Amino acid sequence: MPRSNGQAAAASTGGGHVELVELTKQFGDATAVDDISVVIQAGEFFSLLGPSGCGKTTTLRMVAGFEEPTSGSILLDGKDVARLAPNKRNVNTVFQSYALFPFLNVADNVAFGLRYRSLPKADVGKLVGEALELVQLSGYERRRPGQLSGGQQQRVALARALVLKPAVLLLDEPLGALDAKLRRALQVELKALQERVGITFLYVTHDQEEALTMSDRLAVMSNGRIAQLGSPRQVYEEPADAYVADFLGVSNLMEATVVTPGAGGAPCRLKIGEFALTAECGRLDATGDVKLAIRPERVQLKGYEETGPNRVPGMVERVVFLGSASQVFVRLAPGDTLQALVHNDGEPVAFQQGSAVRVLLPADALRVLPGGGASVAEIHEETFGDQPPDLAAATSSTP
Amino acid sequence: MAVAPPAPTLSPPSRSAGAGAAAPQPSRKPAFRARMRARSAEDRIQSWRPRWFWASLAVPGAIWLLVFFVLPFYVVLSVAAGALDPIFQTPIPVWNPFQWSGASFANLFREASFLWPPFERTIVYTAIASALSLAIAYPVAYFVTRYAGKRKTLYLLLLISPFWVSYMMRMLAWIDLLQVGGYVNKVLEWLHLMNSKNPEGWLSGHASTVVLGLIYGYIPYLIIVLYAGLDRIDGRLLEASRDLGLGRWRTFWRVTVPLSRQTILAGMFITVLPMVGDYFTNQLLSATPRTTMIGNVIEGQLDIANLQGDGAAASMVLLALLLIPMIYYVRSTARASRENV
Amino acid sequence: MATAAVPSRAAKRRRGPWRHPWGLQAFTWVYLVWSIVPICIAILFSFNNGKSQSSFQGLSMRWYTGTSKAFGSVLHDPTLHAAVVQTLKLGLFVTVITIPLGVGFAMGIDRWRGRTSNGMNFIMIFSFVVPELLLAVALMFVFLQLLKSIHLGTDAEVAALVVWNISWPAIIVRARLITIGKVYEEAAADLGASRFSAIWHVLFPLLMPAIFASAVLTFASVVDDFVLVEQLSGVGGQTMSVLIYSQAHGGNNGPALNALATLMLIFSLVVAGLGYVVYRVMTRGERGNTTAEALTSIAGM
Repeated sequence: MPRSNGQAAAASTGGGHVELVELTKQFGDATAVDDISVVIQAGEFFSLLGPSGCGKTTTLRMVAGFEEPTSGSILLDGKDVARLAPNKRNVNTVFQSYALFPFLNVADNVAFGLRYRSLPKADVGKLVGEALELVQLSGYERRRPGQLSGGQQQRVALARALVLKPAVLLLDEPLGALDAKLRRALQVELKALQERVGITFLYVTHDQEEALTMSDRLAVMSNGRIAQLGSPRQVYEEPADAYVADFLGVSNLMEATVVTPGAGGAPCRLKIGEFALTAECGRLDATGDVKLAIRPERVQLKGYEETGPNRVPGMVERVVFLGSASQVFVRLAPGDTLQALVHNDGEPVAFQQGSAVRVLLPADALRVLPGGGASVAEIHEETFGDQPPDLAAATSSTP
Repeated sequence: MAVAPPAPTLSPPSRSAGAGAAAPQPSRKPAFRARMRARSAEDRIQSWRPRWFWASLAVPGAIWLLVFFVLPFYVVLSVAAGALDPIFQTPIPVWNPFQWSGASFANLFREASFLWPPFERTIVYTAIASALSLAIAYPVAYFVTRYAGKRKTLYLLLLISPFWVSYMMRMLAWIDLLQVGGYVNKVLEWLHLMNSKNPEGWLSGHASTVVLGLIYGYIPYLIIVLYAGLDRIDGRLLEASRDLGLGRWRTFWRVTVPLSRQTILAGMFITVLPMVGDYFTNQLLSATPRTTMIGNVIEGQLDIANLQGDGAAASMVLLALLLIPMIYYVRSTARASRENV
Repeated sequence: MATAAVPSRAAKRRRGPWRHPWGLQAFTWVYLVWSIVPICIAILFSFNNGKSQSSFQGLSMRWYTGTSKAFGSVLHDPTLHAAVVQTLKLGLFVTVITIPLGVGFAMGIDRWRGRTSNGMNFIMIFSFVVPELLLAVALMFVFLQLLKSIHLGTDAEVAALVVWNISWPAIIVRARLITIGKVYEEAAADLGASRFSAIWHVLFPLLMPAIFASAVLTFASVVDDFVLVEQLSGVGGQTMSVLIYSQAHGGNNGPALNALATLMLIFSLVVAGLGYVVYRVMTRGERGNTTAEALTSIAGM
């Protein structure tokens, strides 16, 4: 298992290993977190990803100590802290609204936690200075939170938490209130910061771009349970089911039937309509009706005359110019509509609206997912309420 | 615990889309539980936010309210439904509800012909005063919220300023103006509306003076309430209405007024309820039996020992009559403050 | 409905849909004049160099500090002087008691949800909706018939005024608490604060502006109060309001009363001004703070 820079740094400082063991939280009759178990390595940047209401924030609050689990335990470096008061845990939080104390200036805000450790004043000043330097806000000591921009406030919140050198840093959608460009810049900064400091980061977000960009590993959550846990590449390219596939970008789900199941790792043969396909079935014991998923950037458009394996004929419904790429919506002969992403190489897209094409679905790009369950349209609407597909997610290259 | 291999808890192509596989062995649980119990109480999450702690903060205020607010009304009821000392005819409170008598209440009904005129006058004065107050306050508040633009703060300060001036001083100002040699009469003479040989005694028994006093005294509160409520109305709703073709007047009647219904109601309560209990306005501006209100009657009864029982009874009756609007107001306020959470 | 021709400028001024409502503006100014001018005249006449209320005879401070034996001045007439002292005393005592009770009440009711707390909230709102005369009657009977150890006079007045004014801090601080929410205390705990430390070092500073504002309003309300003070008077002197009332009706009273009333106004304004300055100092560096929210919560909106 390859170690990130952060993990290497943490190994030297030690600590920050978190284990959630059968953690459950119920509010009255509603179950917010349903028996989840996760191991987070020391020094890892771990994300909890999911739509609102999936339980990710509740999980974070339980680790922080603001909610008491109904059952289960939270092991921090081997010690069960699930029922420990929040001020007694070596865990600090960066809140979504930053929660900077408005009646204190920046230096006093950062020094707030240090007062409970009875340090001499000179030490406190030094630590505050170091923390502010870490987040590139040296010289802002005397400002008040109300005089800072959103990005600056977020950095003060970070400094305030990091100055206490916690074993784990919890971040609750900290970039949510910022505009897109600032967000992207801060994503890179946060990741760099984490690698430098070496502390375990537990990050909660609903934005899959953030999660894919920054995490060493992430868990996709839904309805209080973990749908899939893995590295960004694993979760994006090998989604466990239709929900995960669709949450992390366009999934191009298609209905298919298994003709010959693959035995022991061999590729299986499937049929979509009357067209034969080969795909990797992985460990899935697939029979009968299944779903196929393929990312738009892996879909290749060929001329109609070009026949061959894994090629399905279709008609171009629409071409949408996005700038760096073009979306091509193709209606396949069996009935499903696929979205292909054609990178802009300076030439106009070869296929116009209404032309016939043959779509190549490479065998190694196709994912076979368990059949049944909600259709793509239903999942999409439930999660996003008809948002247009996200180009960035489809084109970002995950480490 | 060293860095454990992550493999057992991850299985991306796993079929169980539900819970991830659990890594730790069951044998560790009893040890955890023992450790949990051993921890001191102060460290636990529950102790960090106990409910009794917050409740205890509210207790002193609650006790004060119970002793000096709730209890007194029970006392009034006990006096009103109590007995009279046979010799001095002073009221003796009867604490036991089962021994309450309706004697004082019966007294009230016997004196009804005496009590009815002030009561009727109170209703009339209050109705006229509050209607006129609304007619004045609403346009002013509407103007300041919608059209004041940059000078809104200035207008607001001017509107609030009477709030800081005591009621006494506001009445005093009008007494000065309305007295026989005062400015009002001087202006009326100058306008040839009045004969200087026969000056009008505004302060000796005019109902209109009392109504003016009531309006002048209570309108600042009404304006503040209306201002707050009208300020909340989203201007875009009115724009939408104009956009859909309604003229100014129709927009006003069909959009603005319905939206401000709650505000108007609250404002009316805050104006009418104090007016009903008012006695000093009349006392200051008139002080003749022609214009007494029910407040004056009750106050008068309290000053005379053997009428105190009647005073208590009258207070109870008045309270009972006002109870329904009061409860309505309190419930809507409490509900609104809870919904704001 | 659509017109092809462009209306002339004069026509636009008359018929434009967004034209300025001159009528309403005039109405507002008439109201403001009617509202404020009488008070200004009364203040002016407190500086009058003569006894009349209707002819101004030059400026003078005689009603405030004059030593003439014929006409009392506020500084030297013992009755007037005593009234000022009594008013300030009452204002101070009541505010000092009401604020802690009210703030504790607000904090308790906000955090402790349940039937009992809703009931107490109900009672608290009732306490300022009830007509003041009825409350005065009720309290008078309590002090005469039941709690006889509390004599009518300053003691009784203080008890009554606390009840009457407890809704100021209770409502204003509660509104502020609702806006603040739990997040600051959670942040404090996260950083290592115990429960008490979080309240003392974080919650109280956050509430200070609201506490201060309600203290100012309470003081002003007590200084102005009339009904409760008059009905429960006994031991201890009159306040300024009661004095004005007893001497004012019918007209032809001396300008000394005007001077007294103006002094009351000055007290209220000084306290308000102080409160405003302190409030701004406390909330410097905070964005999006409105006192309008406090006022509107009193209005019940």
